[in-house]
Amino acid sequence: MSASFRRSAVAIAVAAVILALVPLVAGSFMLHVATIAFYYVILAASWNLLAGYTGQFSLAHHAFAAIGAYTSGLMGYHLGTSPWIGIPCGVVLAGLCGLVLGRLVLRMRAIYLAIATWAFAETFHIYLTADYKFTRGELGLSVKSLYGTTDPMPYYFTFLALTVVVLLGLRLLIDSPLGYFMRAIKDDELRARSLGIDTTKVKIAVFAVSSAIAGLAGGFYGHFIVLLSPQMIDFSEMAKIVVMVVIGGFGTFLGPIIGAAPVQVVMTYLQAYGEWNLAVFALIVIVLMRFSMEGLAALFTPLWRRVWKLP
Amino acid sequence: MYSTELVVQTFISGIMIGVLYALMALGITFIYSIMRMINWAMGEFYMIGSYLQYMLVAWLLGPDLWWLAIVVSTAGVFVLGLLTQWSLLKPIFKKPPEARDDYATVVTLALLLMLRSLATGIAGPNQFTPGSNLPIVMVGPMPLAGARVAAFVFALVALAAFWAVLRYTWYGLALRAASQSRVGVQTAGIDVLRVDRVAFGIGVALAGLAGALLAPVFLVFPTNGLITTVKGFEIVVIGGLGSIPGALIAGVLLGLIESFGAAFVDSAYQNIYGFALVLLVLVLKPTGLFGERGREA
Repeated sequence: MSASFRRSAVAIAVAAVILALVPLVAGSFMLHVATIAFYYVILAASWNLLAGYTGQFSLAHHAFAAIGAYTSGLMGYHLGTSPWIGIPCGVVLAGLCGLVLGRLVLRMRAIYLAIATWAFAETFHIYLTADYKFTRGELGLSVKSLYGTTDPMPYYFTFLALTVVVLLGLRLLIDSPLGYFMRAIKDDELRARSLGIDTTKVKIAVFAVSSAIAGLAGGFYGHFIVLLSPQMIDFSEMAKIVVMVVIGGFGTFLGPIIGAAPVQVVMTYLQAYGEWNLAVFALIVIVLMRFSMEGLAALFTPLWRRVWKLP
Repeated sequence: MYSTELVVQTFISGIMIGVLYALMALGITFIYSIMRMINWAMGEFYMIGSYLQYMLVAWLLGPDLWWLAIVVSTAGVFVLGLLTQWSLLKPIFKKPPEARDDYATVVTLALLLMLRSLATGIAGPNQFTPGSNLPIVMVGPMPLAGARVAAFVFALVALAAFWAVLRYTWYGLALRAASQSRVGVQTAGIDVLRVDRVAFGIGVALAGLAGALLAPVFLVFPTNGLITTVKGFEIVVIGGLGSIPGALIAGVLLGLIESFGAAFVDSAYQNIYGFALVLLVLVLKPTGLFGERGREA
């Protein structure tokens, strides 16, 4: 347990306690929004592990969430299995797909990797729509809810717990030797290899781990929203994840956490404008990018240093 | 078994659609080779091209002047590309290059979301199709839809024009120089940001042209650029990023595979065959068939 892990753990614990008290004051709509925001925090944080820390700018992260959700959903639909069996299967399948895709894109430079992963995601999207006899395509696949109720309260706590566990796990990973290898690979892969790091193994492992986490989030998310559609793997979902991480701070631990939640909340309230909501949202992003490129996490760095009396 | 006639027809239609996909891929690879960034909103410029084509044909020029409409819509997308580079990308490219890739990605992703939802907001989720009264063309004994043949011929003319501009004009020289070295161009006294603007304009105009040409074939709706963009990116991966002959050859290859797959295997999965080819190329030759080998900007 490094000092850095302990500091983050304390901060996460404090935030979790505060968030656990939110249901006392919030209505069920707010809880619903917050639950979805947690889903995006997990996706953004695990994508950040892949893109921000290891430099593998994948654009297939939403596809892995969909793999998790659809695996569990289809098992429930065709075989009648319980979500508690389906979700672990989804996690394993998403991790395996990540392993294979990570292996395929291993030797590619940044831009190729982005294109190839994007093509993977879009192909999966097309498949889900085309094979509607099996996946129900645009008709929508209805799945069982996790707790047999649509009240968001239990899901809120489930997702809060998931988020805490995932974030702590990611922090542990980032502070471990593997985490240092990841950053070394991002900075200069050739140099990392010359220093004796097995870059192949590290890159594939990170791809598999982050995909499995996306599958986990997707699996629970599916049993929370109870209706799956190929919309889940629409490219705008990936664009949302990228935007969340970059607004928060690319390659920082805090970035995806403080980027994802506000973006999701803003987007929910922009829903009132119908089709225009994404236009307004994109305009906000473009203006933000135009004037500040640092990300929100940079604003918190001085505060964080003062709290822990860091140099 | 299958008749020769069917094989020949599949072959011709594969080449014809492949050249149009290649236009898209060329736009992507051209912008990349000059600006060293990927424009993720390529499909949205395609979409704008197809909407312009529809509006011009349906309201202003009529189906007989379709060729004029195509020229005007391509020019319109070109101007829009110039404006986009000037307002959104130029400020980024003035900054130091480390963060450039990430922010170019985010800005073009945001542009993608914005243009798509603007199209839905303004025109609604409806599908339009510009009328075409081109007659069916007989190639030997084979009948081919007039709109497709016209699109193919027009695409070939555009490719020839593109090549001539690159080869014989001063701007073409500057563009080729910038693709070799952005710093070198600046030492030669050329404003690289101005070259960027033209490059971005030409790149998105190629997408707009593809959109305008394919409007009668693939219909006009807010996300109609998606499938052609997927093809464009697949071609770029197959042919190698930054390679213009690679984009053309891979485009035709993809068109052929797709059309044979659709005719002889199963047409429902038409859009997936290309990805299988991508996987094959990635396994055998990760830099693409004609890709540069790990050369950094």
